[in-house]
Amino acid sequence: MKRVLLFILVGFFLVINNGWGQEPNVDEIVAKANNLAYYQGKDGSAKVNMVITDAQGRTRQRQLTILRMDIQEGGDQKYYVYFHKPTDVKDMTYIVWKHMDKDDDRWLYLPAMDLVRRIASSDKRSSFVGSTFLYEDISGRSINLDIHELVSTNADFYIIKNTPKDANTVEFSYYTVKIDKNNFIPMKAEYFDKTGKLYRTIEALEVKEIQGYPTVTKMKATDLNANSYTVVEFSDIKYDIGITEDIFTERFLRTPPQQWIKE
Amino acid sequence: MKIASVVLLAFILFSAKQAQSAALPVWHGFIEQDYGGLLSEDALIKHKNYNMLEQRFQLKTRYAIPAENILSYWNGVLVYKGDFVVDEYFQTTASYELRELNLVVSPNKIMDLKAGRQVLTWGTGDYIFVNDMFPKDYISFYIGRDDEYLKKPSDALRLYFYPQGVNIDFVLIPFFTPNTIPDGDRVSSFDSFERGIAGRKTERNAVKPAHKARNIQYAWRLYRNIGNTECAFYYFRGFDPSPKSYLDEARHQLFYERLDVYGSSVRGPFLGGIGNVEMGYLRSRQDNKGDNRLIENSMLKWLFGYEKDLGNDLKIGLQYFFEQRLNYSNYTANLLANDYFWDEYHHVLTQRITKLYRNQTVMLGLFNFWSPSDKDGYLRLSGAYDISDQWKLTVGVNLPWGEDNLTDFGMMKKNKNFFVRLRYSF
Repeated sequence: MKRVLLFILVGFFLVINNGWGQEPNVDEIVAKANNLAYYQGKDGSAKVNMVITDAQGRTRQRQLTILRMDIQEGGDQKYYVYFHKPTDVKDMTYIVWKHMDKDDDRWLYLPAMDLVRRIASSDKRSSFVGSTFLYEDISGRSINLDIHELVSTNADFYIIKNTPKDANTVEFSYYTVKIDKNNFIPMKAEYFDKTGKLYRTIEALEVKEIQGYPTVTKMKATDLNANSYTVVEFSDIKYDIGITEDIFTERFLRTPPQQWIKE
Repeated sequence: MKIASVVLLAFILFSAKQAQSAALPVWHGFIEQDYGGLLSEDALIKHKNYNMLEQRFQLKTRYAIPAENILSYWNGVLVYKGDFVVDEYFQTTASYELRELNLVVSPNKIMDLKAGRQVLTWGTGDYIFVNDMFPKDYISFYIGRDDEYLKKPSDALRLYFYPQGVNIDFVLIPFFTPNTIPDGDRVSSFDSFERGIAGRKTERNAVKPAHKARNIQYAWRLYRNIGNTECAFYYFRGFDPSPKSYLDEARHQLFYERLDVYGSSVRGPFLGGIGNVEMGYLRSRQDNKGDNRLIENSMLKWLFGYEKDLGNDLKIGLQYFFEQRLNYSNYTANLLANDYFWDEYHHVLTQRITKLYRNQTVMLGLFNFWSPSDKDGYLRLSGAYDISDQWKLTVGVNLPWGEDNLTDFGMMKKNKNFFVRLRYSF
């Protein structure tokens, strides 16, 4: 009798699990996509090359090395940024302690003045190094800040609509994200302003598998109002390289870690 | 120190050449044209219509010492930065300013070392320095050179220790470098012997401490984070980098009095922005009782600061600085009838507003000093445009004012200027 009961229970759970496996719920999709986009591996490093193009077609270039370490999967993270280009910011270093529940902590080191500056940073929706990307695009927007709805699915993609819980803190009214069903990579985000007009897009232009992790290696952010865009390419991508937490302190802000940062 | 650095440089370049696949140093820098015109004539300084006209050519490199060299195991990096300057204000031919030539190594897990010419900064103030007794060039600041030139380099050995629990910085400065302060050539200064703003008429001269073991300066900083709040303690033993004491009145001689500075600071998130508090006790070792009218008294300094990001690339900063001349009754009791004298308390308020436009390529900035006790102030307005990744145009005005002639900003009231800098970076 006991054995039969156990059999039934196990069977019940299997059915339920199978059901989830076929059609995951929206929060699962979002959490999985978020983890893939921002939390691959325990840590990682990449060289970042950005080209910013304005409405007149003039371009500017930014080149940096980013080191990342997850404090908690899907939660707090630490970032280290070393600027290679342009010359006027070359050798500057930047540390971000990203928090889920409060403002991030940020420090900037200006080697020309040997100055460690603490950066007040309540606005995560300001431009990242003058590009079309915002801080939140680079370090991720906390998934707890939005209400997520699965608006449609087709053979290849989930379309998720994300509406901010607090509309006053952001410039958009909602945004949609198209997520690849096979690997859960977010392929395109579209931002709509308070009048419902599309004004901003972010697209993944290239996805590669690196150390078994599907990774976006080329992205484009477009500002439809300003008619400008930024293309960012990631190279030298490495995961699980054993970055330790002390990298994200004043010591390495002043003395960049040679083993991770090459010209 | 300079010779040692050059030998080191030669050694490293030689080693680099020996190594088979050694990367050569990559050079960067800029060429810049600077002009600073006076808003009203000042007949007392060298040129009555302008106070800056110069061209600069900076070269810099940050060279990671390649493998096969012992220093590479210590993650050795050689840093060089030097400026060639044609200063047409003084009609000199090109001069050379070595700003940095130092070697950085990490010999073990808990220690880094930086030796050679380097810029030194610590503390939490924004253009106000309490525990940072390292040399500064205030003339550069007041005429509108890049902020980089506010800090003068020191020839020093800096050791960083990172044991568990607390971080320790130790700086040894064998050779004294004074601040560059208004001296009447380019920016007006007050001269008590001339009994007013003297300009080039001044015959004041400052006597530097001699090169000897007893005059070696050193400083400590102990710091750690408690959560995301940074706490630090500071100690400095050396000389006041600005000459505030009199050595020989008959010969108009000033000197840099000996100082011990004890201080501490806290900086962290506060009311949706960043708050900081810093204090320093400056002990005047040659006049600790304050009864020598020729030597600066001990001082107590407090600084309170707050910075906030208001969104849309708009940031504001506020500071309150308070300074108390200690043993004040001893000081006043020993003054002579004709002496100029300082108040016991000095208060300064500062305001900063920075706004970025056009994808952060245009910056408009305001920085204002205002002292209700000295009845003086100094407003700096600046604008910068990154025309491209290479070209940058910076313009601004420096507007010092004051009711009296002897205060920090009041003495420069005839030197209100506008400045233009055009830089090409490579």
